[in-house]
Amino acid sequence: MGAGDFAVIGTGEVPTGNFPERSEFEIAYEVSRMAIQDAGIDKNEIGAVLTAGHIMNNPDNDYNTEMFFGRLPEAIGAHGTKVVATTISGGASSFSIRKTAEGILESGETDTVLVVHAQRFSQFTANEQAKYFSVAGSDVEWEVPYGMTYNSLAAIVTQGYMAYKGATIEQIAAVCVACREWACLQPNAMFNNKHITVDKVVNARMVSYPLTTLMCNVLGDGGSAYVMTTAEKAKKVCANPVYVLGDASQYSHRTITRAREKDPGKMGDELGVTAKLAYERAGLGPEDMDIFEIYGSYPVISLIVMDALGIHDPRTSGELVLAGETSPGGKFPVSTNGEAMSFGHTGTGVGFSTFVEGVRQLQGKAGEAQVPGAKFLIENCGGGAFMDCHFTVMGNEVA
Amino acid sequence: MAGEKIDIETIKAMLNLTDEDLVKPLPIPTKWSQPFWDAAREHKLVLKKCSKCGFIDHPPYLYCTNCTADEHEWVEASGKGTLAAYAINQFGVPFPFWVDLPYVVGLIDLEERIRMISNIVECDQEKLSNGMDLEVVFDDVTDEVTLPKWRPVDESMRG
Repeated sequence: MGAGDFAVIGTGEVPTGNFPERSEFEIAYEVSRMAIQDAGIDKNEIGAVLTAGHIMNNPDNDYNTEMFFGRLPEAIGAHGTKVVATTISGGASSFSIRKTAEGILESGETDTVLVVHAQRFSQFTANEQAKYFSVAGSDVEWEVPYGMTYNSLAAIVTQGYMAYKGATIEQIAAVCVACREWACLQPNAMFNNKHITVDKVVNARMVSYPLTTLMCNVLGDGGSAYVMTTAEKAKKVCANPVYVLGDASQYSHRTITRAREKDPGKMGDELGVTAKLAYERAGLGPEDMDIFEIYGSYPVISLIVMDALGIHDPRTSGELVLAGETSPGGKFPVSTNGEAMSFGHTGTGVGFSTFVEGVRQLQGKAGEAQVPGAKFLIENCGGGAFMDCHFTVMGNEVA
Repeated sequence: MAGEKIDIETIKAMLNLTDEDLVKPLPIPTKWSQPFWDAAREHKLVLKKCSKCGFIDHPPYLYCTNCTADEHEWVEASGKGTLAAYAINQFGVPFPFWVDLPYVVGLIDLEERIRMISNIVECDQEKLSNGMDLEVVFDDVTDEVTLPKWRPVDESMRG
């Protein structure tokens, strides 16, 4: 396998938000059809159907089991399907599922794979969601009994990042503002009609000091899909394929107490080793990137990932964001769909929406959010209690 | 930054909760962590140390994560540590913890070079600082379960 061997040729996405009447099955069927139509292929060309497993599965409406047992190819009439699989690694699912797709393509059994994510959090009560997310990012035996939550985990990392890196709360808040500015250009974003300011974010209700409500992501229902093929096929069937040029991965821990990098101010340096490897494998560098599609989930993680990306500017990540350089029209566009903070947190789907948005940008289909002439970008995802990180460089030409 | 304490009966009435909704989650020990919780009940903080390579695992696992040996001993920790970073929960926690708001969740560096998440108690929340010295205290949350927690060593930092 080499750089540019695989390409995405079409995407589909439904709006993220609170849609209790729209089942995850409906989402999956709909985004599948959209992605196939966008790719301009016949549904029977699809040889493998991959779905991302749910977090918070409902046993009375068991999406996971239906997907394991092949509901989707039957429901969408993908009669050429040979392989079905579900992949899940929390927020890193968009990466682990894409690697699965690449492996299937590499095997030669098929040259066309459909990849799907769908989630409906609104079927659960607020307390069910709060309970789940207190154990998703925290250790049930060693942390949850102390009243630890996902927000507390992010708050601890934020407090540490500010103390050891010298970042300010205004810089943290500015990440949320930049995400919102992008989301306001996105028809499918959950929060796309109300601008916010640094002042408003800093002065919102305190959730877990130093994080206010507007510094915490909000769960939403949503889903997306894409069609991936070999580069050879992509060139034949698609006018504007998006190639995977290089990627690299690292895993650190399950519980934050066992993180490899102890200093929250230096987590970006640790991730930077992996980002550099992804650039090298793509034969490109940070100076070639037109967009940085960061999956932060919390503002501090966006800054940590920015620290890792080697952006050529003497200013710190926080200073760049506060100066508007990552917002629409800025020098370094970051998270052009508003990511979890303003696009909405769809569970395992945040990485999918980040990836799909990157593809749209490189296909010139990003509408009002389009970064003019975008050719190359780097994107990332990661899951759990910031357990891992995966960087991928993509381009609409092979470097 | 301290919010107002909320009375448990007010919460129950406000949210139409049962007593069961307000039961705090407790650690469910595994075969390999049981000695930690047994010692905590005796107000001792112990850590799992590999007898072969000397590596201390926390959280503990079935065998040494450094050398995979089974042989180990439980050694008593000094009970001293420092505060690496912290959060002060003020809102949006699971219902059983509403009565404790605002409360501190800290990332603690132990002298034994391992880390724990725990509550920082008996502290003036305004005076918390990264690197401050902490010592272990034991909170008997039920007859069966004791949670090790941490408080500032410096009495002027205590609330």
